[in-house]
Amino acid sequence: MIRFRTGQLAGITIAASLLFSCSDDLRKDHSWRKDMLPEHFPEPVYSIDPDTLSEEVVALGRDLFYDNLLSSDSSISCGTCHAQTHAFAGHGTPISAGVHGRLGTRNTPGLSNLAWHNSYMLDGGINHLDLVPIAPITAFFEMDLSLNEAIHRLNSSPYKARFQRVYNTDSVHTKVLMKVLTAFELTLVSADSKYDRVVLGDSVFTEVEERGEVLFQSNCASCHTPPLFSDFSYANHGFEWPSTDAGRGRITLAAEDSGAFKVPSLRNAALTHPYMHDGSVYSLEEVLDRYSDGILVHSNLDPRIEGPMHFSDEEKAALIAFIHTLTDYTLNTNPRHSAP
Amino acid sequence: MKVISKFFLAAAAATALYSCDKEPVNTDGDFQIQMEYQWAMSGAPFTMNTMLYHPMSGDSLKFTTFKHYLSNIKLHHVDGSVWEAPESYHLLNIDDATSLVLDFTGVPAGEYNALEITFGVDSLRNVSGLQTGALDPANNMFWSWNTGYIMIKAMGESPQSPSGTFSYHLGGFSGPNSTILTKELNFPAGELLEITPDGTPVIHTMANPAKLFHTQGTVANMPMIHMPNTEAGIMASDFNQGVFIDHVHL
Repeated sequence: MIRFRTGQLAGITIAASLLFSCSDDLRKDHSWRKDMLPEHFPEPVYSIDPDTLSEEVVALGRDLFYDNLLSSDSSISCGTCHAQTHAFAGHGTPISAGVHGRLGTRNTPGLSNLAWHNSYMLDGGINHLDLVPIAPITAFFEMDLSLNEAIHRLNSSPYKARFQRVYNTDSVHTKVLMKVLTAFELTLVSADSKYDRVVLGDSVFTEVEERGEVLFQSNCASCHTPPLFSDFSYANHGFEWPSTDAGRGRITLAAEDSGAFKVPSLRNAALTHPYMHDGSVYSLEEVLDRYSDGILVHSNLDPRIEGPMHFSDEEKAALIAFIHTLTDYTLNTNPRHSAP
Repeated sequence: MKVISKFFLAAAAATALYSCDKEPVNTDGDFQIQMEYQWAMSGAPFTMNTMLYHPMSGDSLKFTTFKHYLSNIKLHHVDGSVWEAPESYHLLNIDDATSLVLDFTGVPAGEYNALEITFGVDSLRNVSGLQTGALDPANNMFWSWNTGYIMIKAMGESPQSPSGTFSYHLGGFSGPNSTILTKELNFPAGELLEITPDGTPVIHTMANPAKLFHTQGTVANMPMIHMPNTEAGIMASDFNQGVFIDHVHL
C-alpha cells in the first residue's frame, strides 16, 4: 500500500475535482455562442474563443452593463446611453447626458460587431476593446466614477461572490471587471438584417432596395464596406469645414487628420438618428441631401470623395431603402442583450 | 474506465510534485535598487510638499505628487550576456518610501558592469490591452481617452505659474515625442557589481526632479501638459537622462 503524506492527499483531491468540473459547460447548447462569429463575416480583430465565454460570465457583464452603481451618483448605467432599441446607440438625442445632466461633445455610437473594429471611440483613441469602458466610467461628463471607487463598490456588493465564482480571484479588480464587460459586448453581434438574409440566400430585395444596393456599391462602399458597412478607417467627408472638433487629429496630432472621424458602420442606421460625431444631422434624408449637394471640398476632404454626389430624388430614396435593409431586429429585441 | 485512469493520472502528478526531497544547489543571488531623489545640484535631498528654489529658472516649486514608472530592469554581465528581471514593472511614488525599494532575485552569480533601466513603460505594453499590478489603470497613471501610460506624473504649486499650480502628465510611447528611455547605467568609478549567493548588494540610484525644467525653463512656459507632445518628450528626457548610480554597498 502506498503511503501518502497529507499534502499529497490534498493535491490528488484537488487535481481530481478540477478534472471533472469543466466538462459540464462544454456539453451545454452552443447556439448563442456560435452567433458571435457569423459565417459571412471576416475574421475579427479581437480574437474570440466562444468556448471560453460561459453563460455566467456574459450574464455578469450584462448585469453590470445595466447597473447604475457604475456611475458616481448611481443615476445612469451603460445601458442608459447605449439603448438596445436603438442598436445600443443613443436615445435619439445629439449628445447623451451623463451624471448630473452633464453634456460632452460627441454623439453616442452604437455598440455592435465590436470585435471587428481595430480601434475604439470616434477618434480611435483607445487601442484595445478591454480598455474601452474605463473611458466612459471615469469621464467627468459621463459616469464620473474613479476605477478605485468602482472596484470598492463591487467588492462591497453581491457582485464580489459572482466574480469569485467565474474567475479565480479573491476580489474584484480592474482586469476582471473589464473582462466581463467585454464578454457581454462581444455577444452584441448584428448579422441578421434583411441584407444578411439576402446575402445568405434566404430573402430577396425589392426593386427599390436592389436599386439602392447598386448605387451603394458605387458611391458608398469604398468607406462603408460590406458586410460590416465600415472599413474602420478615419475620414473627413466634407460636411463641416473648418472643423470644430479635431477628431482623429486629437490623437494623431496630424493637421491632415483634423475633423476626421471613424467611418461608422451603417448597420441599423435607420435606428440610430441623429447622425455624425455631434449628432447634428437629424435624418437619413438630410444625410443624403448633404452627400448629394452639401459636401465642402477642402484640404482635409477624404480622397475617396470627389465632391457633392448630385443624387436625384429617386436615387436618394433608393439608397435610404437599402439602408433600411441593414436593420437587425434580432439584435434590438434579443432578451439576452436586454436589462435583466 | 475513463474515470479511474484520469484519477490515477492526477494521483501521479500530485505525487511527482510532492516527492522531491533534495534541493538542487542554487548559485543565484539577489540585489536591490534604492531610488533616491536630490534637489538641483545642491546635494540636498528632495522633499515633497516643500517650497524649493530652482537655481536655473528662479521658480519656487512645491511638489505634491511625483510618480514615475521604471521597467525592464536588466544587468549586463562582463561576458556580454544580459540577465533580465521577469515581468519588471515598477511604479515609484515619492510619497511611498516602500515603492522606492526594488528587490530582485534569481540573478546568476557573477560580475556585472551595467544596470539597464527602461524609464517608463515599454511601447509593447502600451498596446497590449489590460494590465495588472503596477500597470493596472486604477493606479491613475493611464490615459483612458488616448491609450497609453503616464510615464512621469509631477504636480504641485508655484507662484511663478499663471494658475498657481503645475501639472505634468508626461506620456507618449511612440514617434519623436516618446517619453520612454532605455539606458545602461555604469557603476561609479568603473566598479563591477558582484552577485553571489550570500548577501544582497544595494544599488543607490539618484534622480533629480529639478532636471524636469532643465530645457523647459520656468513653469510659466507651460504649466500643464496632459497629452503627448514635444515638451513632454523634452521634460521626460531631461529627467530620465539625469538618473545615475550614486553608490553600491552590501
